[in-house]
Amino acid sequence: MTHTRDASHATSALIDTLSQDLRPVAPLAHPIWRALGWVLVALGFASAMVWAIGVRPDLSDQLRDPRFMLEQGAALATGFCAAVAALALTIPASPLWLRILPLLPGAAWISALGVGCLRDWVNAGPAGLVLSPDMACFFYIALVGSLPALVMALMLRRGAILYPNWSLAAGGLAAAAIGNFALRLFHMQDAALMVLVWQMGSVLLLAAFSGALGHWVLRRSALDPTLS
Amino acid sequence: MKPAQSGKTPPVPPPSLEVLMRATQAGDQKAYRLLLDQVARRMRGLVRHRAPWLSAEDVEDIIQDILLSLHRARASWDPARPFLPWIVTIARSRITDHGRRYMRRTALHLAASDIAEAFSDMRADNTAQNVVNLLSVRRAMQDLSPTERQAFDLLRLRELSLDEAAQISKSTPSALKVALHRAKRKMKAVLWTEDKT
Repeated sequence: MTHTRDASHATSALIDTLSQDLRPVAPLAHPIWRALGWVLVALGFASAMVWAIGVRPDLSDQLRDPRFMLEQGAALATGFCAAVAALALTIPASPLWLRILPLLPGAAWISALGVGCLRDWVNAGPAGLVLSPDMACFFYIALVGSLPALVMALMLRRGAILYPNWSLAAGGLAAAAIGNFALRLFHMQDAALMVLVWQMGSVLLLAAFSGALGHWVLRRSALDPTLS
Repeated sequence: MKPAQSGKTPPVPPPSLEVLMRATQAGDQKAYRLLLDQVARRMRGLVRHRAPWLSAEDVEDIIQDILLSLHRARASWDPARPFLPWIVTIARSRITDHGRRYMRRTALHLAASDIAEAFSDMRADNTAQNVVNLLSVRRAMQDLSPTERQAFDLLRLRELSLDEAAQISKSTPSALKVALHRAKRKMKAVLWTEDKT
């Protein structure tokens, strides 16, 4: 009985503290607008990285290749939609379609690479599907995606932390997709199987790694009222 | 219902949760206090409804988590949308968190008991206390009729199912249930008297 009264008093005391510490806040913009802002920051950082490393010499030829453009478009769309989903996951009662938005461009991206593998096999036979180690992909995607991922984590912490693992996984996917988009502007690797395994594999691995850190990164401060 | 008296102003309805939340976002401390009070009251009902097995302290624990989350995420509420679905989503998430924490605590407790039993001469549970309890139960069982004692022994001490106990005692499950109920009532009276002395 005494414990119950203590717990109830603690709730009243918490209400007193919270109401005394109140500061005005501006309502967050819609996840689509926030994601758009994030993509601009991410692309700005990616452009700086591409400029620092140096663009691939055959870029002008690649920009005329519909397959290259389709894959790059799908990567960019996946990055944007994953950012929308990550931010929507921190808005309580947000519409479901916003939270599952990256599924469509993500499927299109994987399909485009799958069709590319098929075409390489038809054109060159088994020689078109050779797989060799390319660990640089992982390193560059992580490097270009690092700052956007950090910015995304800070943006996510402004919302309600409801599904920390899913939120950060989607955020990690967004950052890695932008990283992959930039990678193909300076890294000469276009064999569909290599792109599918090393680049797409790195993107998914980084998204899974981010998701695994979600609870640790987002929840640690989420229940501390002094941080807001 | 009394008819409205002339000359008296009708009572002003309390502001809606949306009005309070809008004022909260603008920094109105009085409105915020009112909002938190109302949310605590409503969410207490919701938590009790969703998890009726929780103790009053656990319920308060969850309410405090919900209030902290509301405070932390108050910018994520869109003034154009209703407030209740927003706060209920937060509440559901905090109830789930509490469930997860409880499962983890239980798992840790079991693991600790295992370790204590495996690497120590002492039992993880308080053996002396268990012996005292068992002796009290045995003493209380002396006052039971043979049928009641058998029902209590099979169903509570040996933890058999009703069907198994009925087979052994050559009785029916419903007769066993009645016998167990009587046994518990008698033993409760004895143990309660013993506890008071």
